[in-house]
Amino acid sequence: MSHAPASPPRARTEVLADGTTVITLGGDWNRQAATPAIAFKGDQVRLVTEQLGDFDSSLPGWIHAHFRQVRRLDLSALPSRLRSLVELAEQSTTTPSPETTGGLLARFGGWGLESSSSWGRAFEHIGDVALGLGRLLIGRARVNWQDFWLQLQTAGVDALPIVALLGFLTGLIMAYVGLIQLRQVGATVYVANLVSLAMTREMGALMTGVIACGRTATSFASQLGSMNVSQETDALRVLGINPVEYLGLPRILAVTLMVPLLSVFATFIGVFGGMIVACAGDLSVSQYLTQVVVAISFRSFLVGFIKSIAFGFIAAWAGCYRGAVAKPSALGVGEAATSAAVLGITLIVISDALFAVIFNLFNF
Amino acid sequence: MTTQDILVSEGLAVGHGGNVIMTSIDFRLAPGRILAIVGPSGCGKSTLMRSLSGLDLPLGGRSEVLGLDLAVATATEREGTLRRLGFLFQGSALFSSLTLRENVELPMREFLRAPRREIRALAEYKLALVGLADAMDKMPAEISGGMAKRAGIARAMALDPDLIFLDEPSAGLDPLTSGRLDELILKLRDTFGTTIVLVSHEVPSILRIADFCVYLDPDAGRMGAYGPPRDFLAAGSHAKAHAFFSQARIS
Repeated sequence: MSHAPASPPRARTEVLADGTTVITLGGDWNRQAATPAIAFKGDQVRLVTEQLGDFDSSLPGWIHAHFRQVRRLDLSALPSRLRSLVELAEQSTTTPSPETTGGLLARFGGWGLESSSSWGRAFEHIGDVALGLGRLLIGRARVNWQDFWLQLQTAGVDALPIVALLGFLTGLIMAYVGLIQLRQVGATVYVANLVSLAMTREMGALMTGVIACGRTATSFASQLGSMNVSQETDALRVLGINPVEYLGLPRILAVTLMVPLLSVFATFIGVFGGMIVACAGDLSVSQYLTQVVVAISFRSFLVGFIKSIAFGFIAAWAGCYRGAVAKPSALGVGEAATSAAVLGITLIVISDALFAVIFNLFNF
Repeated sequence: MTTQDILVSEGLAVGHGGNVIMTSIDFRLAPGRILAIVGPSGCGKSTLMRSLSGLDLPLGGRSEVLGLDLAVATATEREGTLRRLGFLFQGSALFSSLTLRENVELPMREFLRAPRREIRALAEYKLALVGLADAMDKMPAEISGGMAKRAGIARAMALDPDLIFLDEPSAGLDPLTSGRLDELILKLRDTFGTTIVLVSHEVPSILRIADFCVYLDPDAGRMGAYGPPRDFLAAGSHAKAHAFFSQARIS
């Protein structure tokens, strides 16, 4: 290798009388230097060199990029080392793949197709879950019961501390905000009604559902997604075991069972949190508790309970669905976890609104 | 079963997600035969195996496995057929949260009505067959790639299937273990009459164990040749298949 100062890479184009384009290459070619731009016509090209210095893979790369489409490419005048580097790449070159980046319209169309197929897959997955539940009822489903017990523990019992903390704080904040308003009309005693009613009907279920999405749906999505990566899902299918049934059902059942229980727990803790704030200034403990008993009916308890069953199902299903359709790559698993949480929380809030309308219609 | 072909492909087209990558696959395989699928890497050998087994649906043509026409079969029928065959995936696909023993036990626990003790003994036997007698309680993450392959084969054999698909069983194995594996495959066929379809690049091993060979030609996007592997050693055979076999033989 010479240590002479590098001269920039050069490419000179001239067209001979018979239509052959001759390209003369010279200078030192390395990856740091900008490669020269050329323009030529015709499909008969001859490459020659003149004062060619050092070169690395940038030169054969440049030749490959510019001339692989040329039908009659004459490399015979090139130094043998360069020629063999170019020819090695030519051998494995097939027709170049068409550019896939389309215009705005194409991208919009692609997005439309993708989202419609993802809706299709979502409904397919819900259908699979429903069929699996049906088979479970007639005792013909293959379910991994070990997973069921494990998820009762991890999605249920292990979530107690975080559910307690968030439930407590929710009750506390509601009581605090409520007191400020109620003091203006001298009705501070109703803070107990406010907190207890909101916790039983709304916030207990909603907070627990959101926690289930953050904790459990993401974990399901990454568990099932990484099973896609290592082909474990395929391995189950080959054994004639339906993955939705074997992996999805125990998870969905466990969470649908645990979220209502957690929600009741969160409600109690939230009412307790409200009591701390209310009794710190305005009310006595017995006043607060009396109002709570008056405020909560069995009906409002039922409203919260029914919702929490639905929220539990939604959170678990979102996790299992996003995991099942996760792309088999590290990135795909990460995307699955994110989209499971987003999908779960979105669906929970939407269904909460629907519940509000329905319960209102039936005066519940 | 003895007279009927176990695998039938007529003008089969296979591919990924709707994109056809290999067409015109035509062959029939009688029970108890060993078929090798060969071709340059990336030409669609694993994809072909997935379609032959019914794991993926064929994109065209006809494909029959264990007497079931995949194009017209219902999902339940396909599930039932899948249960009758074993499959070793390229990445072994062991259940990462289970030990090797539990991996082999899983299909038996799901489909055999046998006492736990018996299933355990059977699983230990299958693992011993592939030389993993002293690694049974290891987790898949704790063993080497070659050991994982062998555990995958043990799991594929768990339910004594009529047909086993092996995706590169000997890739990454040392020559001794790979030789033992060839013997195991031959023994499986000779004692149980199991039909075996395998993807392999090991020409000596193919010549030793395979009865028939499918050569996939990626440039043409179709099956290049079908026949006994020894035929491809002769100069007059399919040019690319011959090149594949003789090149590998020299090296």
